Amino acid sequence: MQIRIAFGSIIMMFVLALPSNADGKGELQKYFNDTANKVKSTENASEKRKILSESFQSMSKALDKVQNSGLISKVDRIGIDRFKATLQEKRDELAGSNGYERVLDKDLNAFSDYVVQDMEQAAEMITISVVALLLILILVVLIV
Amino acid sequence: MSIGYTALTVFLSSCSAGLPVQEESKKTEHVLATKYSIVYVIHGDGDYIFHDTSGNEYNADDEALAGAKRVAQQNPYAEVFIFHQKPRRNFLFFFPLQDGEFYYYRNGQLIANELYWRDQKQSQLDPEVVLYHRFRTENQREMVSIFLYYGHEIPQFGGIGYDASYPDRAFTVHDFTIGLRGFTHHPKRFDLLVLSTCFGGTPYTIDAIGSFTRTIIASPDNLHLSYFDLHLLERLDLSLQDGDVPAFAKRFAHQAFKRLTRNIQTAVSIAVYDADRVKEFLYSVRRVYNYTLTTLKGETQEFLATIEHCDCADLPEYVLPTMNKGVDVFYRPARFGRSKNKQNHSGWECLNVKPQEATFSDH
Repeated sequence: MQIRIAFGSIIMMFVLALPSNADGKGELQKYFNDTANKVKSTENASEKRKILSESFQSMSKALDKVQNSGLISKVDRIGIDRFKATLQEKRDELAGSNGYERVLDKDLNAFSDYVVQDMEQAAEMITISVVALLLILILVVLIV
Repeated sequence: MSIGYTALTVFLSSCSAGLPVQEESKKTEHVLATKYSIVYVIHGDGDYIFHDTSGNEYNADDEALAGAKRVAQQNPYAEVFIFHQKPRRNFLFFFPLQDGEFYYYRNGQLIANELYWRDQKQSQLDPEVVLYHRFRTENQREMVSIFLYYGHEIPQFGGIGYDASYPDRAFTVHDFTIGLRGFTHHPKRFDLLVLSTCFGGTPYTIDAIGSFTRTIIASPDNLHLSYFDLHLLERLDLSLQDGDVPAFAKRFAHQAFKRLTRNIQTAVSIAVYDADRVKEFLYSVRRVYNYTLTTLKGETQEFLATIEHCDCADLPEYVLPTMNKGVDVFYRPARFGRSKNKQNHSGWECLNVKPQEATFSDH
């Protein structure tokens, strides 16, 4: 219990220290935009796949940690579930698993744009509170 | 001391409602006739950041505002009202600043630019309607009238939290139609209404706004925040020379579609609705769609968070012979994802409430 309180306090310190205009969703979009920029900056298809895969993996880990932290509401947990499902679809498509056709090497730049745009649209649909979003962002930074 | 007093006086004055920032007389003589009336409402109080394919970041509302101003400046025969709905901002942490900005152009000239207070609880565009009536020209019934709304999906019910910085403020399709009533000149309807939002093409939304306009352009599916291209509105005296608004609406939709499909990898869907011709379909599905909405109104926030949209054509109860009547659809599926092979869209978007989910709220 004390560990949980300590962890919560540290997280809250991070949250309070963040600039007031950091609304979470915008920062989350920046994360995927940075990934797309990295993908486009390399010519090597394997490298592009690795960048995308690691980006999805880091985000998934952060989502799992926040979901299991006990610091978020039930609505947030459902929002994170939907977010995770969206992310998993992208991972499956990149790898060509779970019934998806594998993204072709020549389409990886376009796929990285698709991820950015889909996440920008998903941000409107997926209900996650600002606090939960900030927790996700903090953990993504710690994980990467 | 006197400088401080003056600064305080100026600041306090700036907090008062309805303070004109710039205004010229309404009775200014105009050489050119006004044949077009355009009203823009641009919602900017939410998460409106998007990125282009080069990674540059934009604020959707600022981009829409810049486009609206270009339209206003380049139309010599139009009057243009622009309402920019902004997030809450404070001066020195404690003093709230006005959350709306209004621009009025006539014959390409900026006539007025005012800050104003938006509705504080239920947002039904009351302050916008008041400003509109203060400046509008008298011959509204003879003008071609166009209304454009740029923002996130307008909720079909609930609507709490539509403004990110005012969590208690609500805005729904019903509130929107109350606002629209204030802008129209009965019995005349708008000639064209452009709903540049996600999921604007639901039977309920089109049914509700169809009473206030003859033609509607909306996106049934998701719409990227770069919104609909506005270039075709820039010289209405040329692009709408023949006065055929429905044909213009199709050209507008086609151009917006072309621009979106050039840069966007997600699905692009733009539909043009003839408000009178779609009535038969809407009448047929009204009961079943309203039943869905009524059911959802009683559900918990947890349950509502699980609801997804789908093409109404995927639900058997909506597949009727009248479904395509009065609707022109421009559609391209997402280039990736589960629906990348979906080749058509009916132009109608529904809520996909799966029967097994109905018990969710009981837990």
